[in-house]
Amino acid sequence: MKKTMAAVTLLTASALALSACASGPTTSTSASASAAASAEPQNITLWLAGGDTPDALRDYLKTTYQAKTGGTLTIEEQAWGDLVTKLTTALPDANNTPDVVEVGNTQSPTFTNVGAFSDVSDVYGELGGDKLLQSFVEVGKVDGKNYTLPYYFGSRYMFYRKDIYKDAGVAVPKTLTEFNTAVKTIAGKNPKGVKDFSGFFIGGQDWRNGISWIFANGGVLAKQQNGQWTSTLADPNSVKGLTQLQDIFTNASKAPKTAKDESPWLYINNSDVIKDDASDPTKVTGKTSLAAATIMAPGWAHWSIGDLVKKDGKETRQWNDDTFGVFALPGDDGKPAPVFAGGSNIGISAKSKNQAGSRELMKIIFSAEYQQMLGKNGLGPANSDYMSTLGDDLFAKALIESASNSKLTPAAPGWATVEASGKLEEFFAKVAAGGDVAALAAEYDALLTPMLNGK
Amino acid sequence: MTTAVARNRRRVRPARVAATAIALLLALIWAFPVYWMLNSSLLPNTVLTGTAPRFLPFGGSLDNFAAIFRAGTFWPALAMSVAITLVTVVFCLLFAFLAALAISRFRFKGRASFVLAVLFIQMLPAEGLFIAQYKLMSSLNLLNSVLGVAILYVAAVVPFTIWMLRGFVAGVPIELEEAAMVDGLSRTQAFFRITFPLLAPGLVASGVYAFLQAWNEFTVALVILQAQDYQTLPLWLRTYVQASATRETDWGQVMAASTLVAVPVIVFFLIVQGRLTSGLVAGSVKG
Amino acid sequence: MTTVVASRDAGALTPARTRRMSPAPYLLLVPAILVLLLALGYPLVWQFVTSTQKFGLAQQFGKPPEFVGLANYTRLFTDPQTWAVVGRSIAFCLVNAAITVVLGVAVALLMNAVGAVARLILQVSMLLAWAMPVIASMTVWIWVFDWRRGIVNWALTRLGLDFTNHNWLEQPLSFYFVATVIVVWMSVPFVAFSVYAGLTQISEEVLEAAALDGATARQRFFAIILPMIRPVLMIVALLQVIWDLRVFAQIKMLQDAGAPVASTDLLGTYIYRLGVGSSDFAVASALSIFVLLLTVALSFFYVMHLMKEDR
Repeated sequence: MKKTMAAVTLLTASALALSACASGPTTSTSASASAAASAEPQNITLWLAGGDTPDALRDYLKTTYQAKTGGTLTIEEQAWGDLVTKLTTALPDANNTPDVVEVGNTQSPTFTNVGAFSDVSDVYGELGGDKLLQSFVEVGKVDGKNYTLPYYFGSRYMFYRKDIYKDAGVAVPKTLTEFNTAVKTIAGKNPKGVKDFSGFFIGGQDWRNGISWIFANGGVLAKQQNGQWTSTLADPNSVKGLTQLQDIFTNASKAPKTAKDESPWLYINNSDVIKDDASDPTKVTGKTSLAAATIMAPGWAHWSIGDLVKKDGKETRQWNDDTFGVFALPGDDGKPAPVFAGGSNIGISAKSKNQAGSRELMKIIFSAEYQQMLGKNGLGPANSDYMSTLGDDLFAKALIESASNSKLTPAAPGWATVEASGKLEEFFAKVAAGGDVAALAAEYDALLTPMLNGK
Repeated sequence: MTTAVARNRRRVRPARVAATAIALLLALIWAFPVYWMLNSSLLPNTVLTGTAPRFLPFGGSLDNFAAIFRAGTFWPALAMSVAITLVTVVFCLLFAFLAALAISRFRFKGRASFVLAVLFIQMLPAEGLFIAQYKLMSSLNLLNSVLGVAILYVAAVVPFTIWMLRGFVAGVPIELEEAAMVDGLSRTQAFFRITFPLLAPGLVASGVYAFLQAWNEFTVALVILQAQDYQTLPLWLRTYVQASATRETDWGQVMAASTLVAVPVIVFFLIVQGRLTSGLVAGSVKG
Repeated sequence: MTTVVASRDAGALTPARTRRMSPAPYLLLVPAILVLLLALGYPLVWQFVTSTQKFGLAQQFGKPPEFVGLANYTRLFTDPQTWAVVGRSIAFCLVNAAITVVLGVAVALLMNAVGAVARLILQVSMLLAWAMPVIASMTVWIWVFDWRRGIVNWALTRLGLDFTNHNWLEQPLSFYFVATVIVVWMSVPFVAFSVYAGLTQISEEVLEAAALDGATARQRFFAIILPMIRPVLMIVALLQVIWDLRVFAQIKMLQDAGAPVASTDLLGTYIYRLGVGSSDFAVASALSIFVLLLTVALSFFYVMHLMKEDR
């Protein structure tokens, strides 16, 4: 008996002690400030996804917010992969919700459609209005009202080996048709005699790059009519694009049918750290990791492409203009082909108690200074007025060019479900394996349409 | 047993040689991933993404570790993990021990049902519970706290620990305590002087299991610990594995970070290893 | 040398004592019951209730959920995909548990048969494997089997078989082979240590006597050793079945590394995909409850047997 009593007392005491000293700060505890009469500064929390926003920009936001409103801004970084899980539990919780949140542009429709974000249509004009990247604005809209707005955009373009293109006698393609032919030619010629060499390396399950062919031929992934979404993989334009893609999978790419769009730059570098062939890059010894003449990747991949050199005793990749080049995937209509735009949107949590403070932060984010800072750091600014701050090196040019015509995934409420189900990956893998495109498209349309409309 | 072993040693049986060879081979196979992790943690990412594997870290350095420590997020995460794990282990052992005492030493109504319930609770998949657990902790104002996470962890490991300790407690006959009481000790004294030391290995074994569960858990921690300052090591490690929109994953750093997460566990293990084996010895055959 | 204490009634008390001490056991149970009720009470109830409703992301954000009775269960079980996943999961769990237990016993026997140094080396290596965090070990294993940079392909090619660029995760069967290797690698140490502990309890004299009587190693194993470690084996095997049925992290990470999702999903990842992936928490809850019942069913006879022995 005594032992039990002692145990219970010990337990209670330690529990109390622990909860007193271990519980963290409760976020957004502005007791009195109501949205309307906020003479009192509000302390707010911003959730940023991943490490994309550099520290310098984060500090700018904090100091500027403090200067403008007197309140404190806390920035919490969340990992991309688990962002949806955390948003699902945190956003509905008025006592613990973050105030301003960055979401991936493909995740935005999921949350805007269930009322997770506040209506910001009233400040839309002030924040940039029609100068903001419209495709991103669209995924943040529901019934004509704005809920999330673009934060930054990225894009994807082609990286290619100038030396191999030259050896194969192929010029940089100016149209999509030329591209499709070019990469098949290169794969066939295989000038360096590498085993399983790809003219264009694209994984079978890589739909993010693959959908560019659908878009480029005038197709879309889904259409909305009378509030209902329908999957349109079987539309004639989509099928045309998919057939071109299948041709590439079969004749130009030796990537595994289940490969996704991860780390494609591995295949275009001469990887090796073996000394004997580093001196003679044209000699293939079988140890090189070169496996492709062309890859499609997000702009920031250029940091991982180049020659292996030693800088300050450390091995890094250095871009070599003679060996490597970039170009935006061309369309058949003189414009760049529409590619899948990466990037994020940003919005205010509907359950946040600090609506006024949150709006102040949004204004800071969409201010000229901040937009320019984004551009200077390689993140495409939401406001097209500041596009030039991205610079004018070949990467910036390719980024701007490919992003100008970029497209997003459908703004359907169930899109996140589609992505999570892996059905798109499955579909593309089957197309890559050589199945009947039209039949597969019809089959998967039937599967995807119910998912798109949510439950 | 000594004489038998001595006898065996004098004739070197081919069977023994073969067994030793196989044992060493298995040891090599099982330790291989650990070695690979250590090896990779010393190499830069550019080497790791090449096609030729490098078996020994020539040209390697501690750069990855330096970069990780520079980022400054390891120590707070370590502190958080240690705090949560210690609290979990202590309370799990305490509660499970009391419960094991109850079901091994006493016969009472509902005993069988309790034992069954304990066994079956472990069979519930945890993946579906996190939403409700978040709401629970939020309403108790225990988000971002060691206590909030520890409560959930204790509940998760207590069932198995009760099962494990049950065997150990049952293995210590109550007659030993009674004999001590006859000799003049009070019940409590008898318990702490006679029974408890015999249970120590069992407590160690159960403690190690609870430690491992708490140390490596991910989803509950992800959802309950929102603030960046309150991450545990698995969450911290995850941030290294995620490629972001502006850079690729640095695999050298991922391996270095993994090593840092694994090291405290391995150290803890090696310390209690002696106790562990005898703990499992004492409890298992009876359990 | 200690003799095996088979007496499970070591704690039996006389009726007189029980009556006098009767509140004690209940009080001893209080802390454990309290923490279990607190942490699991509400979530369990929530899960049962949600499985009978229509509960998606909208409901999470305030829209009132609609009661739909057993509709979620019906939807789940009229979907052939569910049965495929269940079938694969049961097969996977049984195969893995069997291999793990057999290998674990073999390793334990080895530990017992070799000299002190070799035993220490083997034990430390098992310990290292057991202690390594899952995220870390999965990253290493995925690398090992990587189609391009993996050392398995590299080694096999070196040995003469052309395995360059062979993708181990492309075909479901090959995928499960890799998954089994990994899960077995992770689980054997626990089994090995538990069984080894049991083995050290067996007296050398008995084995020596049997050997002198002409019993072969095989006969010694099946007639003496096996019956003595049976209690350990049974518990360990049960735990393996429970854990292997719910395997999640390993399968998820392998899928993320590039595998066809629909044909490689097991129960753990399937629930996750329904819950976090498509925010259909109601169906995920229904499936979780089903998995609970499935596990209970799979282990039922075995658990009853354990309870009977206990009496």
